Amino acid sequence: MLLRPEPHDFRIIGVQLGRIANVVAVAGLFPLSWAVVAREWAPASGFLVMVGVFALAGMASRFITLNEEHLEWSHGMVVVALTWLLVPAVGAIPLAMSGHYGQPFDAYFDAMSGLSTTGLALIQDVDHVAPSINFWRHLLHFLGGQGIIIAALSLFSASGVTTLYYGEARDERILPNVRSTARFIWKVAAYHLVIGVAALSAVAFFQLGFRPWRALFHGLMIFFAGFDTGGFTPQSTSLGYYHSAVFEAVAGILMVAGAMSFGLHYALWRGPRRAIFKNLETRTILATVTFTLVLTMFGLAATGIYSSVTGLGRQGFFQVLSAHTGTGFATVPPNELALWGGLAFGGMGIAMALGGMASSTAGGVKSLRVGLTVRTILGQVRQVLLPERAVQSTTYYQNGLRRFTPALGQAVMSVSLLFVALFLLGTGVAIGYGYGLQEALFESVSAGASVGLSVGVTDPTMPLLLKLTYTLQMWLGRLEFVAVFSLLGFLVSWIRGK
Amino acid sequence: MIRTVLITLALVFGSALPAAGQDVVPIDELTYAGASYDTLEVTVEGELVGDFGDRRDGTVWTQLNDDSYADNPLRESGTHDEGNAGIGVRIAGNLNVELDHPGGYRWRGPIVRASGIWHFHDSDRGGESYLEVTAIEILEPARTLADDPSPFAWVVGGVLVLAAFALYLRINRVSNKQ
Repeated sequence: MLLRPEPHDFRIIGVQLGRIANVVAVAGLFPLSWAVVAREWAPASGFLVMVGVFALAGMASRFITLNEEHLEWSHGMVVVALTWLLVPAVGAIPLAMSGHYGQPFDAYFDAMSGLSTTGLALIQDVDHVAPSINFWRHLLHFLGGQGIIIAALSLFSASGVTTLYYGEARDERILPNVRSTARFIWKVAAYHLVIGVAALSAVAFFQLGFRPWRALFHGLMIFFAGFDTGGFTPQSTSLGYYHSAVFEAVAGILMVAGAMSFGLHYALWRGPRRAIFKNLETRTILATVTFTLVLTMFGLAATGIYSSVTGLGRQGFFQVLSAHTGTGFATVPPNELALWGGLAFGGMGIAMALGGMASSTAGGVKSLRVGLTVRTILGQVRQVLLPERAVQSTTYYQNGLRRFTPALGQAVMSVSLLFVALFLLGTGVAIGYGYGLQEALFESVSAGASVGLSVGVTDPTMPLLLKLTYTLQMWLGRLEFVAVFSLLGFLVSWIRGK
Repeated sequence: MIRTVLITLALVFGSALPAAGQDVVPIDELTYAGASYDTLEVTVEGELVGDFGDRRDGTVWTQLNDDSYADNPLRESGTHDEGNAGIGVRIAGNLNVELDHPGGYRWRGPIVRASGIWHFHDSDRGGESYLEVTAIEILEPARTLADDPSPFAWVVGGVLVLAAFALYLRINRVSNKQ
């Protein structure tokens, strides 16, 4: 029997949503200040409206009275799912008001793409966008990649907040409590911010010859999009704009750092470092990167698109790295990427679908799940082949020896299958509108795995239903289903429960 | 003054450029069928946007767009009809062309006609594609774009923020009394 949620449940959810709205209102003060200092008055007015809406929602929630504030699992999941729907809605206000979107929904699409660190974009004439608007687009990557909930958890603590942490697709707790884990995640980001922006800006200034202010601007934008595996760029030609192998290399290092789990960051900082390579996840990602890279390289060599080894190596490697980390930066235009057929298309598609590590800023199925899925399948094959009385190993190594239970195998397989279904959903809708199978599949995987690479399907002129589908894919893919399904269950209980 | 002289010189000599008589190749054509133009001399027209990156070898790298926004920026009479269409261009330092402001938020960049060798997946530059400019003519100098804020948006935003602040004060007063 479904139990109808009580007013108390709504109050708890409202209070948590209000707290998160306050955090985003404070975050919105940064682009507002930027616009005011730079005298970009038109964008500034949009930011003021956005900050006003967030702040008003946050303050209104403080009028809600609660006898106790224990957050149950279902509350947390509903809060997370709603946060990731509502923050892009309000965050899209300055984007929509910028005049660079043909439809208001296009602005929502981009806000969702930014927050989910996907990087697909419907913005038009990005080469004339105000720097403050660009800053907000990239800051959305940072907020989404690090986790808005993580930001809120760093500031507030309440009974049962652990559920919020897990709801935002974080699988492991690095430190004994969630609040200290949240702070550690922000500490890692802060260190990378300083070093990453300094390195990128230095390359932009000394090697590319940009003016100091512009070098810093590009450094900051590419850091946000690279470290948070987002993929937005301040210029329309993505990373190809810079025409620099050194700049691509620095961005590549940040992309890899972003696709690493925060548990791995912790191990690199505090040790033991040797154990890192024993981890199933590390071994899996090294294997899949090598596999997809070889596949793509062979495919590109077969098509003869690149006549030189240096061209093939640099362009092929960067595109695969961008796909596997879920970043979405490109050094080749979308219409050229669309020509990467055969094995190259297969390599890129698989790399995008597999994604980075669990508890990182990357999307996709994630390496740990891939490793465990392979293990489940191999276990079943062995079971058939071995004598009936043979006993199989039931452990795997991931930051220590862990038990591999049938329930774990089933859970991992279920999420992997849900990702496959998600990719098929977008592919089916695009094919229904007349797009070819290859481009439809590529774009759908890109949206569902939060990558952002495009072969040209994502365009302001594409059908509204396709825009809605990709938005849904970005939302579901980033939250890895559980929180969204919980929200649906909550709504059904509200309507049909007793 | 120097800028005016240089622009005038560029305009005068620009008309005598050997490439000026060639057909202008659209950027979309260059990116779709780049291989067929590889190492050929082509002429493109459009707006220079982004940055003028002065490299140590004396060349200037920038981006040339030939989309509709070059003629009709969105904040003027432009319509939402397409994405940006741009390529990288490398301008040799000895061309002595005076480039003041690249296109961006505050500027509609200079509209130029550039001729040069199209490099498609250049092996010397790790597979990059770009136009090696050998002649450039400024058709229209850069000009500023207006930043027109909406007074209505300021009023709405201001009211919302004030309302939030009033709520904050009210909550604080109530909690202090308790």
